[in-house]
Amino acid sequence: MSKSISMGARTALDDHHDLSRQAQWQADKWMIGGSVFMGTAILGLIGLPLFMYGLMLQVRAQKIGLSVRPIIVTLIGYLVIIDAALNSFGWSLDMIANHTLLARVFLQGWGNLFDAGYYWHYNELWIGGATAPGEKAWEIALLPIVFCMRMAAGIAFLQMKRWGHQWLVVTCWFGVVIWIGYVANMTIFADVRYSGVVFPVVGWWLYDIFYITPFLAIPYLHTVNREIFSD
Amino acid sequence: MSKSSNDHLALGTTAAYAGMHKWLQRGLFVCLTALVLEGALTFPLIALWYGWPTLSLQEICAEFEKHRFSDDSRECIYPYPLFAKAEGAGQKTAQDAWGVQPKPLYKRIEFRDFVKRRDERLARRAADKQAAGQAPVADLSSPVQ
Amino acid sequence: MNEQPISQQDRRRRRGLIIFQILMYGYLLMMFVIQMYMYSQRDW
Repeated sequence: MSKSISMGARTALDDHHDLSRQAQWQADKWMIGGSVFMGTAILGLIGLPLFMYGLMLQVRAQKIGLSVRPIIVTLIGYLVIIDAALNSFGWSLDMIANHTLLARVFLQGWGNLFDAGYYWHYNELWIGGATAPGEKAWEIALLPIVFCMRMAAGIAFLQMKRWGHQWLVVTCWFGVVIWIGYVANMTIFADVRYSGVVFPVVGWWLYDIFYITPFLAIPYLHTVNREIFSD
Repeated sequence: MSKSSNDHLALGTTAAYAGMHKWLQRGLFVCLTALVLEGALTFPLIALWYGWPTLSLQEICAEFEKHRFSDDSRECIYPYPLFAKAEGAGQKTAQDAWGVQPKPLYKRIEFRDFVKRRDERLARRAADKQAAGQAPVADLSSPVQ
Repeated sequence: MNEQPISQQDRRRRRGLIIFQILMYGYLLMMFVIQMYMYSQRDW
């Protein structure tokens, strides 16, 4: 399967490559737009139909025989990015914008409904924001490092790059550490996190369980044929 | 033993893992939809729970201050000056049971409780003002009967 | 299509990944149960 070596001649393979790349890019334009909206949380309902339309374009291209990305690679890549974006959105508000009206109403509102770490003595620390024991440390470790890395890896993964696959493996295993440590911290200091909360325990779990993207990505990343990811 | 020719495997997926990948894909779709719905509905529901639109966002913020630090005189400074101290720094009114596992003593806020609390507080303040206002007036007016 | 039986390595890999899933969700379930127990015992 080698391309034609003479400069001017185009083979059917070249045409196929070009058409496939075009089709993939068409689909990706919609999916990127959708992801941007979904990553903002509030505009998420605008983003979901955009994303699904893009996905449909990709499935259609696949059905007519073009070489596009596998659907599950697309799903994992975009979901990892959206997951990281949503987390970053909330935690950026808490780390940097904790005295804005938006943060004070919505973070504390969420905190009082589900997790008093974001309500109890909020904005009393010198850096402001959440005061639950250990919470700020998790934010500082995760926001600029893990979530940024995860977004970068997700993008490269979508581009079918080898380093994207490798770094997604690394950052998803980070995700395992995050879940174990974060939940353990919440459990040990459960009195602070759940006292006076409207929907203790069940509320937080129902809300946050859908951030388990790393647990679903890891089996795929370890069983996919790595040859499909190239430099 | 042989796979039917209808099963076309996705790129990168071998027959051994086809079932696993199918279920992972379904799980991923569920997570995506749930995350989007949660993200979109969180803000409006929070606003409604705490009394919007009866209370403005700034009033809700002020109610949070009063409730959190158990002090009805606290207000929400908006916009908050950029490099000022943290708004709760040095507060002394919050009620907690301290120990290795601190426990806040405030009560939970039920649906649209803040509207009720604010109305009660305004009524109380009006009543106090009236009581204070009436005292000197009562001295001046001589009872007719 | 691929007619070969599943290899030993693939078999071991699949088992390892299933064990990983069981451990992770088991851990989360355990923490949830601990928190629910605490909820039942303390005045939240």
